[in-house]
Amino acid sequence: MDMNDPLDFEVEDALLKSPPINNKRKKIIGLDDLLQDHYREQDKLLEKGNKKANTKAKKKKSSYDDKDSKEAKLTRILKAFGEEQEIPLWGVKVFGDQKAFPPLEFPDLGSCNLLQSFLNNKLNSVVELTEDKGDIFLEGLLVNGWLSKLAFLCGHVEKPVAIWAFNTMLYSSKEELRRSSSDFWCAILSSEREVDRFPFKIDWFPEYTDLRRALDIFGFLFTFSSSAEPNNLDSDTEGPPQNIRSWIRFITACCLIRSKKAIFSAVEAEEIVEIIICLFLDRQFQGLLVLLNDCMEAIVNYFTDQEWCSSCENIAKFIACRVSKDLNCIQTVECISEASSRSKQLRSAVAYQTLFTCFDGVNSGEEILRSLTAINFKDKSCDFFKMYIHLVLIENWVLSNSLIEDNPVIYEMFCRYLQHCSTLISATNLRSYASKVNETTFLFFTLDLVTV
Amino acid sequence: MENPSSSERWNRAGIDDSMLAMFDASETKDAHQDALDDRITFLDAVRASSIVPEHGKPPTSKIYGAIFHMLRTGKSLELIVGSYKLLVDLDKRFPRVYLSGTDDSRSSSNSSSKLVVVKEAWSPIIDCPDNAHAVGEAGDKRSGEPLDPSSFHVLIEELTEIFSETKFQAASIEPLRNMLLFQYLVIVFEDDFLPRNATLNWSMQRESLLSLLLGSRKINYKGLMKDCMAIICQLSQILQSELSNHLELQESSESKLSKNCHSALSLALLGVLKDTCVSIEKLLVMIMDLDMARKKANIEGHTTRADSPRTPLIDIILDELAYYKDSVPVFLKIFSEPKWKLEIVVQYLWKYITKPSVRTRKSNDYTEDSTFVGALKCFSNKTSTKSLIKKIGVDVVQFLLAHGFQAQLSILSKGNADDNIAGNKEGGVSALVDLCHTFISAFDNLRSTDEHMEILSIGKEALFTAATIISMKS
Repeated sequence: MDMNDPLDFEVEDALLKSPPINNKRKKIIGLDDLLQDHYREQDKLLEKGNKKANTKAKKKKSSYDDKDSKEAKLTRILKAFGEEQEIPLWGVKVFGDQKAFPPLEFPDLGSCNLLQSFLNNKLNSVVELTEDKGDIFLEGLLVNGWLSKLAFLCGHVEKPVAIWAFNTMLYSSKEELRRSSSDFWCAILSSEREVDRFPFKIDWFPEYTDLRRALDIFGFLFTFSSSAEPNNLDSDTEGPPQNIRSWIRFITACCLIRSKKAIFSAVEAEEIVEIIICLFLDRQFQGLLVLLNDCMEAIVNYFTDQEWCSSCENIAKFIACRVSKDLNCIQTVECISEASSRSKQLRSAVAYQTLFTCFDGVNSGEEILRSLTAINFKDKSCDFFKMYIHLVLIENWVLSNSLIEDNPVIYEMFCRYLQHCSTLISATNLRSYASKVNETTFLFFTLDLVTV
Repeated sequence: MENPSSSERWNRAGIDDSMLAMFDASETKDAHQDALDDRITFLDAVRASSIVPEHGKPPTSKIYGAIFHMLRTGKSLELIVGSYKLLVDLDKRFPRVYLSGTDDSRSSSNSSSKLVVVKEAWSPIIDCPDNAHAVGEAGDKRSGEPLDPSSFHVLIEELTEIFSETKFQAASIEPLRNMLLFQYLVIVFEDDFLPRNATLNWSMQRESLLSLLLGSRKINYKGLMKDCMAIICQLSQILQSELSNHLELQESSESKLSKNCHSALSLALLGVLKDTCVSIEKLLVMIMDLDMARKKANIEGHTTRADSPRTPLIDIILDELAYYKDSVPVFLKIFSEPKWKLEIVVQYLWKYITKPSVRTRKSNDYTEDSTFVGALKCFSNKTSTKSLIKKIGVDVVQFLLAHGFQAQLSILSKGNADDNIAGNKEGGVSALVDLCHTFISAFDNLRSTDEHMEILSIGKEALFTAATIISMKS
């Protein structure tokens, strides 16, 4: 095997298959490189330190297209070292098996004035609408967009139609029907013409229990706990149905119309936030980032100012005790965007409450910072992975919280803790995540602090 | 805080270096989870330094390039979606083109707002189209760099290929990546074009990225537009078919993706397909708006020889729809923007309706003729209707009528809402009822001309809607 030209995709295989002699050779070559890397890391740290005094930052040339073969080799070695301590990815299975979907019942033609009144129209000789074909006809009206036109022009959405469209959105197995009914509901909910009332009458609104029931049928594990169960990520459960997208979209639309109609109570809205955070934890939802983010932003802003204070804390406490203290708890914090002051506040709160569950018997943020500063990184038993988690949590707690900016004590302790870290962690520690602690956080966040 | 400008400056440089270092490191350890983590951290870092702070600065071009590189070459769903979202958020936060003074309450008169163009801003599209940039084959190596017009065309061609496969598969991440890239580019075109178009000033409109792209000699404009038409029709078909069952079937087939990744992909894919459809419609609408702006400028004498004449998109669309009659229903079903939808239907109908002979035409009636209602009225003439059916088929006529009626309803009901505010309710309602009556009688005429015609479900739905509106409003 030619050591000079490792191909990227071979890296993994080589580690698994290569005979022991090769391994030895790798190590010999690797140690030189490791030393180099060590120096480079130290240079970086030095550079960081100097920057405070140095106004002229050295421009680092971006060369992300040139692949340094040495670095590739180094990666191999590092991986070989790190393998003894494999860190699991974030990810929790929050969906179990789906339950049986309720049958889709079409509204009775007699109860639906829209269709009923047409039966006697002379045009019905052409349209040929009959009692038993009402369902297919209604589907056509929905899919081709007539239903929302009629709602807007006639100023009325009847109860049977509203219920039918709602159930179709959540339980239909046909994508076209799902999408059209979701479009229909979103259109009638978000008509912007009048701020505080609908331009037309909607006879029926779903309640939270309807939405919760749907989620239950989709297989959502309301009682999940990422710490209790092993994360069997590739297990054979089928996962959520495609209808979940409509569900998320519908929740978002409901949240945006609070001035017209408050569909959820504060407690219910709290549960929705918790559910959305749980969805972020499931790797199956990685592709729905935009949808989930919009939903999160909408639901967080659904609360009134009065409700928000206590709700934010309730949510944070709930999440903190449900999620294991590994990369998952970081994901719960980082999935909350920093786009608005509300979500920032929530992010900070979740980080804070999670920290509390990490340290038993502490009463305040100061105490957490104090006990963290006491950790000796040179100690062999020091768990860098835990360190890393604490660091990310602390950073989010402090930096996302506008109130802390006015608290000089916490701020000073935080800065001292960062200094403590940067002086004590040396790159010679090859234990995984030691370098990560260096790289990810300090390089820029310490600098961030200086300007605050 | 004493001297924010100088401290910010070195801070800026420091952050950039650190972030790029992180990115560089991630590049060297490909196919490794750490590399992925590093890239995600890189995206978070850019967000934290540019978007989150109240007075954040836009990232440098290098940083932008690095994010764009991730969107174009990313191999994990998390990274692709993450970089897409970041780019979109950055564009929202730091627009390249905007109208100043739009917050002004009197901004309805466009004279008060001024177009601001941030010249130094990074853009994913090269705006000097004939700049000699050899991208071509080495695309992967330079994927952080902006696309030139020909690479945009290549992207569109790739999309057509993806969708034309008989069984659209969710077995790889590439289709999703290309669709998100395309969606992002349309957002870029839109953010650039809409404020320029709002100025109603041709010298601004012609400088838009879209106009430069279409005018580039590196692309075959007609081919590009035909590809776009193909994509929108293919997508319409895919979305109508039971794709969801397809996706689940694919799971059992051989795939390089893990089960988990596969289910994430199939959960995202249908949404992304629909969004791609919306994006391509936006692109087509913008191009037609640009065509209209150009036409207006031409009449007013503002165009120069540099504005090389281009076939208006609507003509290309009409030709395509005339040539492939099967695509009429799928295209009309998916294309929802009422103004242009109506225009397409009206022009399509008028292309085949036998024009009233010169002798019977009163000169003052003529201008009214070319509207949708004018076309509906022509159905009272049996010979004209007969020849129309003969030329385009009775099914296509039904589709055109029904969709035209729907588009006209949307326009009228939108006008109605404005009238309600202005207190002119009566006029709007009577126009609506008139439209419904005219539509019903046109349909009756169509039926009496061809007694064996099968009435399609969309025709029935349109008649139902018209009759319901009449009974509600009168």
